[in-house]
Amino acid sequence: MSQDSEKSQESEKINYGKVDPKLLEILACPLTKTPLRYDEAAGELISDKAGLAFPIRDGIPIMLVEEARKIDQ
Amino acid sequence: MTKTVPPDNPAIIFDRAALRKNRDRASKNFADHNFLVQEVAARLHDKIQDITRDFQHIVDLGCHEGEMARLLKDKFVISQDLSREFLKRASGARVQADEEQLPYRPQSLDLVISNLSLHWVNDLPGCLAQIMQALKPDGLFLGALLGGETLSELRRVMMEAEINIRGGASPRISPFMDVRSGGSLLQRAGFALPVVDTDRITVTYENAFKLMQELKGMGEGNILNNRSRGLTSRRLMMECAKIYHEKFSDARGRITTTFDIIYLMGWSPHQSQQQPLKPGQGKVNLSEMFGGKN
Repeated sequence: MSQDSEKSQESEKINYGKVDPKLLEILACPLTKTPLRYDEAAGELISDKAGLAFPIRDGIPIMLVEEARKIDQ
Repeated sequence: MTKTVPPDNPAIIFDRAALRKNRDRASKNFADHNFLVQEVAARLHDKIQDITRDFQHIVDLGCHEGEMARLLKDKFVISQDLSREFLKRASGARVQADEEQLPYRPQSLDLVISNLSLHWVNDLPGCLAQIMQALKPDGLFLGALLGGETLSELRRVMMEAEINIRGGASPRISPFMDVRSGGSLLQRAGFALPVVDTDRITVTYENAFKLMQELKGMGEGNILNNRSRGLTSRRLMMECAKIYHEKFSDARGRITTTFDIIYLMGWSPHQSQQQPLKPGQGKVNLSEMFGGKN
């Protein structure tokens, strides 16, 4: 947990930006094609099914599997 | 659902990570080298204008600097590219994604366009299947790809130069799609009313160096997986330029280069589309039609 909070403090400089709501309605996980959960605070789009969190930078979702963070389930 | 390997398990011909780097690099000076992309964007735009349909949700696959979104400015266009640097120069809704793994919900799009990017996809049938999946019923796919005889001059010249200098040739120019395979690709992916047509654009350059500079500037550098990774020697380049000039120069001494643009167009099936009649439903007797008297 403490590691996690340190990380989020570190990344405060990164501008996540807001994702266009119209875009969110269309976006899906590139692997499972299922809808994503938008974690605005973390600047991530989460695919629960694939266990991946896709980062957002300057309002641009990065839907590349190689850039996604693996989530422990 | 897990990722399944397509039955025909395509070989990995293209190094997509290298493509991403090439495109990132190309973004710095793209305005000097985007002639072909701009030209084909305008032609794609014309084709879209010819279709009397109000497309609401549009995605441009491999958008470069967002040329299509700019042309379709009154529409909601999602510009998608593998390159972050290209996307930074585009505007509107943007997504960094790979054409080989599309991030869209099933049946969410009215129109999928692609301007000169799909020729770098390893598994084009798989990509088309994903496009089909993302399209709403009666949605349209319209893609322009480099294919056919594209860069055939350079391919010949490079091979000859390399054989002259090194006694063997390594792959330097991407294999391109054949015009004839376009239709069957669309059909295999399940597209209705498939149409394939081509444009040949012949461009002249001062010399082979200028052509290669242009290709690099477009982000179209060699990404073949089994490419020769060593530096291309000056000697080889000089030999190339010499042979190119001897074989393919016009009256003004400029070298000529062929770009074949293949347009693939197909609709996701819908019952409102024209259907072939079932056999045995013909209403016209052919022998009567041709005036035969039995």
